[in-house]
Amino acid sequence: MKWGPGGMGHRGSDVPMRILAIARNTFRENIRDKILYNLILFALIMILSSIALGQLTLGLESKMIIDLGLTSVSVFGTLIAIFIGISLVYKEMEKRTVYALLAKPVHRWEFIVGKYLGLLFTLLVNLAIMTIGIALTLLYQGGTEPGTYVRLLPVVYLIYLSLALTTALALVFSTFSTPALSALFTLFLWIIGHFNADLLQFATLTRSATIGWVAKSLYYALPNFSNFTTLDGRNIIQGAAHALPMDAGVILWITAYGLLYCGGLVAVAILVFSRRDFK
Amino acid sequence: MAQVFVGSGSSGLVERMSIIEIRNLTKDFRVGFWKNRPVRALDDLCLDVPKGDVFGFLGPNGAGKTTTLKLLMNLLRATSGSAHILGEPVESVSMRRRIGYLPENPYFYDYLTPDELLTYVGRLFGIRQPALGKKVRSLLDRVGLAEARRLQLRKFSKGMVQRIGIAQAIINDPEVVFLDEPMSGLDPLGRREVREVIVSLKDQGVTVFFSSHILPDVEALCDRVAILRKGRLQAVGALEEILRMKIEAHEIILAHVKPEDANRLRSMCDALTTIGGRLHLRASSSRQVQLILAHALANDAELISANPVRPSLEDYFLHEVGSGRDGASRQ
Amino acid sequence: MSGLVAATSRYRLWFFAAALLLCAAAIKPAQDRVDAGLARSPSIDPDLLYFASPGAVKSLSLGYQSLVADLYWIRAVQYYGRREEAARRQVRYKNLAALLDITTTLDPEMMDVYRAGSSFLAEPEPIGAGQPEEALKLLDKGIAFYPDEWRLCFDKGFVYFLAFKDFNQAGRVWLEASRMKGAPPWMEGLAAMALSRGGAVETARALWERQYQNSASREVKENAKNHLLSMQVDEMLWTIEFLAGKYAEKHGRYPARLDELVRAGYLKAVPVDPSGVPFDYDPHSGKAGLSAGTKVRYLKVPYDYREAFRQKLASLFPR
Repeated sequence: MKWGPGGMGHRGSDVPMRILAIARNTFRENIRDKILYNLILFALIMILSSIALGQLTLGLESKMIIDLGLTSVSVFGTLIAIFIGISLVYKEMEKRTVYALLAKPVHRWEFIVGKYLGLLFTLLVNLAIMTIGIALTLLYQGGTEPGTYVRLLPVVYLIYLSLALTTALALVFSTFSTPALSALFTLFLWIIGHFNADLLQFATLTRSATIGWVAKSLYYALPNFSNFTTLDGRNIIQGAAHALPMDAGVILWITAYGLLYCGGLVAVAILVFSRRDFK
Repeated sequence: MAQVFVGSGSSGLVERMSIIEIRNLTKDFRVGFWKNRPVRALDDLCLDVPKGDVFGFLGPNGAGKTTTLKLLMNLLRATSGSAHILGEPVESVSMRRRIGYLPENPYFYDYLTPDELLTYVGRLFGIRQPALGKKVRSLLDRVGLAEARRLQLRKFSKGMVQRIGIAQAIINDPEVVFLDEPMSGLDPLGRREVREVIVSLKDQGVTVFFSSHILPDVEALCDRVAILRKGRLQAVGALEEILRMKIEAHEIILAHVKPEDANRLRSMCDALTTIGGRLHLRASSSRQVQLILAHALANDAELISANPVRPSLEDYFLHEVGSGRDGASRQ
Repeated sequence: MSGLVAATSRYRLWFFAAALLLCAAAIKPAQDRVDAGLARSPSIDPDLLYFASPGAVKSLSLGYQSLVADLYWIRAVQYYGRREEAARRQVRYKNLAALLDITTTLDPEMMDVYRAGSSFLAEPEPIGAGQPEEALKLLDKGIAFYPDEWRLCFDKGFVYFLAFKDFNQAGRVWLEASRMKGAPPWMEGLAAMALSRGGAVETARALWERQYQNSASREVKENAKNHLLSMQVDEMLWTIEFLAGKYAEKHGRYPARLDELVRAGYLKAVPVDPSGVPFDYDPHSGKAGLSAGTKVRYLKVPYDYREAFRQKLASLFPR
């Protein structure tokens, strides 16, 4: 049977199919790279903490489980986002699998989007399993109100947004830089991005108008991770641990910020990758 | 333009469509710390490949063969000039539905099985299930990997990788297939298998464009070749026509030649060597041949064989192409 | 045909470039909305002290204490700097002491933190935190680390002097400071002043005298002499007033002239000021003052040991 050139489904509907295929392959690669083994470490932490806590503290076990759990989610997730993210494109270029791929009827932008979504999906799976793990540990510990479980979800969502942003940063660097440099730059931007608010502080307190303007511009230009870590004037993990209520409206705007910034970064990655010669 | 057109009339170039059309294709690379020194990897290449040909693309290492293929695959951007495949410019993504490509020293995702790899590639072509599954199975049979279909690629030998590479190049039943050094690193068995695939493709009417520096394979397969040296096209045309430019000779093998006769024979021919008790004589004109044969027969020598010696592409290569490489042997 | 394809791929690149610009432009408004929603008037609120224990922060700094100390100091400065926001809080600078405590635990060598921080703390509201006890604690912490640093004692003395109005303590602390290496020459004088203001007059006088004798600086000597003379003048004036009062008790009116006091036997001679110029005397009120022609440089420092001196006089003149 011959599938002629015209008979393969018209182009419009093929775009998501191709992106999905690339994303799926990226996910499969991550799975087979045994990255999900980090969940074992996480499980160990959760188990040990729930056992040990009974001996160490007087009350407040729930708070500590949540603190430990959510912090682990964030830390593990960030590490995965950075260390897999920086080789998303780089590895394909270095191993030259990208040659055979781009000779197929795939646009370069589809490739970038597919890789990005693939890693995002891996992170989602990781996150979901970890969250369930936290809930199970809380259940085992006992004495936690249902409201607290529900309260976990928006926090996990915000953590996921910050991971998406970290991944996008790593993705951009992976299109043109070696893993070592990319890791450095991404980590650097991630750290700086948490002190964005101090930058704005500095801008308002400084007496020089020029420096103030520069500082304010940097505030908007640099990725603002503190958007995802503070809510109602307090750290979100702390808020979840104390089961405090949340304001839903602002989460919408935080999502918008995340989408815009990630979108911009992905566009940069596409532009860089599209101009590339593969020597 | 250092190009030699051979036999433009008789080979019917005008009659058949050019499935690959390259015009003044030039590629400069910028090297140096500040990326300011241009190095010309390909210089003003013009080439036409007719439909249905098996076209060989030859040249020493560094001649620009892989550069040309990458330019055709839009992995590199040309400095100037243009190239068209199937009438479409090489930047066209939709055109790539109808072509296949096997890169040099291919590497595929080693954590996938051939099944998974071909399914992935098939999806990129927009082939859906259940047609995709059937296609993958038949393809694996065709390249002889049916038994290894669940084995991860990281466990494959080089020959097997090459075969899966060909599979992924033809999964979309392309009209043109581009192979970059498809036989490199393979043992004779592997090379034969690849040769068979190329022949079967040709039988199906697929145009095959492949680069190689393994000349015997090219001689066996190609209808037409192009020879590249230092980024410039040296010669292009049907193989016999390129080789006919060289002087023909005959090789006569005799046995049971008496020593005194051998000396006489030596003066009649261009070259004489003794191999395993037999005399190998090389005569460049038919007159010489006649003299030698007459003498041999008159002196009770045994004629083992008398054959025209066609110079191989290797000879041509070493002569024409290699002479440029070190100035000392320039004629 | 090829032109169309080339144009299409270029069009696609322009599309992504435009998308990038759009995202970049929309970032600012989005961020502003987020800031508004998070009720941040551009700041994060360090009323959140997730780690209140300095020891905990230290362990968590993973060896980067010095940097973390700097960050905490920056936070403290900003926390202090945001006056309007502070005004809105119930307790204005609730966490300032804690922030400074953490900073100095992480890096005990930050001299400026002790100094500036304690002044932020000691200053009364609304300028400062109005927590002088915390200021003292911070300074004591600094002094424990820098036992020979006169500047910290200097600052400590000021907290006592200004915030607690405990002049004796201030004087004592300044006296210690004056004995430390590198202390400026006027430190002793400062101590003396505080002590005398607190009533420790004789100590003050002794300090002024020592300064007058020992100091190499002409200005300091001059200043000490003036202080001594001023003290002398005050005492003489109070004596005159006291005696005039006693005279009035006895004779029903103030003496008309100072030599009447001499003739009455209260004084041995008519008192003149240390520069030899007679005092002015007002017979109606019985008060004396420095004559305008005096050569004494009177330092009007509000010594307040008049009562104590009066009582001493009263004990000397029982009649």
